[in-house]
Amino acid sequence: MNSLVAVILGIVTVYLAYTRYARRIDRNVIQSDPKRATPATLYMDGVDFMPTNRNILFGYHFKSIAAAGPIVGAIVAATLWGWLPALVWLIVGVSFMGWASDYSAIVLSVRNEGNSLSAVAHRLISPRTRTVLFLFIFFYLLLIAGAFVGIMASVLESQPRTHLGMILLVMMGLLLGQMLYRWRIGLLAATVLTVGVTLAAILTGSLTEGAFKGFNEILNGITDGAPIVTYFDPTLAGFKGAEAQIMPSLLFWAAAICVFCYAGSVLPIWRMAQPVVYVGFWITALAMILGLTGAALGTLVKPEVAQFQIPAFKGWNPQLGPSGIMPLWPMLFVTIACGAISGWHALFGAVGTARQIENEADMLPVGAGSMFAEFLLGLLALLAISVGAKGSPVAAFANGLGGFISVWGIPLEHASSLAFAAFIVIVLVVTQLIFRVMRVTLTEWLGEVIPPLRNQHVASIISVALAILLVMTGTWIYLWQLFGAANQLMAALSLLLVTIWLASVGKEWLYAGLPMIFMYVTTVASILVTAYNLYFNVYLPNIVARRMLPAVGSGLMVLVSVLLVVAALLIGLDGWRAFVKYLGRPAPAAGPAPARG
Amino acid sequence: MTGYEFARHALEMRREMESVFLVLTIGDLIGAPVLPPIYTLRLLPYLAPEVARWKRQMARRKEFWEKEEYDLHGV
Repeated sequence: MNSLVAVILGIVTVYLAYTRYARRIDRNVIQSDPKRATPATLYMDGVDFMPTNRNILFGYHFKSIAAAGPIVGAIVAATLWGWLPALVWLIVGVSFMGWASDYSAIVLSVRNEGNSLSAVAHRLISPRTRTVLFLFIFFYLLLIAGAFVGIMASVLESQPRTHLGMILLVMMGLLLGQMLYRWRIGLLAATVLTVGVTLAAILTGSLTEGAFKGFNEILNGITDGAPIVTYFDPTLAGFKGAEAQIMPSLLFWAAAICVFCYAGSVLPIWRMAQPVVYVGFWITALAMILGLTGAALGTLVKPEVAQFQIPAFKGWNPQLGPSGIMPLWPMLFVTIACGAISGWHALFGAVGTARQIENEADMLPVGAGSMFAEFLLGLLALLAISVGAKGSPVAAFANGLGGFISVWGIPLEHASSLAFAAFIVIVLVVTQLIFRVMRVTLTEWLGEVIPPLRNQHVASIISVALAILLVMTGTWIYLWQLFGAANQLMAALSLLLVTIWLASVGKEWLYAGLPMIFMYVTTVASILVTAYNLYFNVYLPNIVARRMLPAVGSGLMVLVSVLLVVAALLIGLDGWRAFVKYLGRPAPAAGPAPARG
Repeated sequence: MTGYEFARHALEMRREMESVFLVLTIGDLIGAPVLPPIYTLRLLPYLAPEVARWKRQMARRKEFWEKEEYDLHGV
């Protein structure tokens, strides 16, 4: 098997699923009407409701949804079960479920005056659904924060050549914000300067590698080489589990990431978050475009970088630690959290994007099209890990992607540096925004009951502290799968809303209802499996060995698992009652649709 | 396309300042009288085109992630 075959499979999947299935649903079920007014054209306030050209909206929506999910998920899934199950889930998931979730969430919002999913849930299901969703969102964000900070800290600690690039990224981001909003310098000049300097720093990171390595050694010398925390990692020693250590250098880089995220959370968005994301986007886009085209051409031009190295299938239930279980169902379907289907796209993309849809005919190319583009991103990550099986999963991904980029004549060392940097950038830019939303969610949820949480610094510090606690438990893989489960559960809830809405307006609901049932059952089962693994593989061994910090962290995660299941069951129960109520009613008489002026 | 989010964010910042200005000048239209009516009436011809849009914006229920500086759209 080689990357060209996989790329062709991916393109054929996108073509068939979009033209044969998605378009049919858009035409026959949703019946999108180009003459019907959308909220953007009805309300047009120039800010929240602003009709936007579909090509710009596609880019904006894709950039909002593309993050580390499809990349890290594909890496972990291929490592656990082999490349074949991961490829099959990516293809089947996006073809029947992923596009339906993203597209339908946008349709739901457009046809309901641009209201958010939680506002529609309040009306269609019950008021408590909105409250439960708040709870759900906060813990979901906490899991993402812990997972992303953990993986970035370990990559930064082990790859000193990436440090110069990341430091310059932050500095150039701050400079870009100042140049655009305060000094009013043109976008083109500002982009060329900031992106150019960041790219140069990434490619020349090896020059400062020795210095940063020495810095790590100085940090570890503070404790004379002794670890801060020792924990049991079930993924080590060929998944039999072994002792692992958190050294001062790892804690330093985790804290550095958290300081960056704290700043991103409390500073105005134009000062840091937005320009850093903008600079990072250029780096990532460059790496992904060169990588995807290199993957396609590699088989012909440089075959040694395009042949799959890892096994196609490693088993139905690979052993993970002495007492862990990792059955293909349901765990594969939550390990690849994005790329196949994702609830986060529905939650945020629907509100921002749906209010900018100019014409109902744009809903499909923007919503479904972006999801298919994210599928290609996940496919690229899968190809990279499948061909570059050396070192840790992230190193294997970077080596694989670096190999694809090198097809264009860039030396492999620089190509790998670019690939590493692209990975860190794509995770870093999302993480700082997650802490911002976490801070706001905490304030919104508990600010009335605990007034200090209304202070943005208090809420940010608490969010950061909770994330660091999760990192210190050393249970990254379970954290990732718990995040994946929460994300997919959000997709199931979004599909549930869409199903209920379709039933309430007398439309055919099966295309959303069937994926909803599958995702709902799968994600609840996966949360229970992860809770089991956490309890027997992590919590109990740490309690026995009297390692309180990892025990507390893993105990917290078991508690979060239980809360997620309870939240899902509550929403499911209320949703079922609402569905039965609407199914029994006759379809409402269709009034005249608001026409475009 | 690359500058879209910056343009949009700049528009949002301007809209927020305009919204504060409108609350100060014609706030009694939404039950928050600030300026004495004589001054409101003098400014009304200039502000009339914005009234409907502004009232709808003020009355629309916002999720917490849509509030100023919290939203994620474009990033």
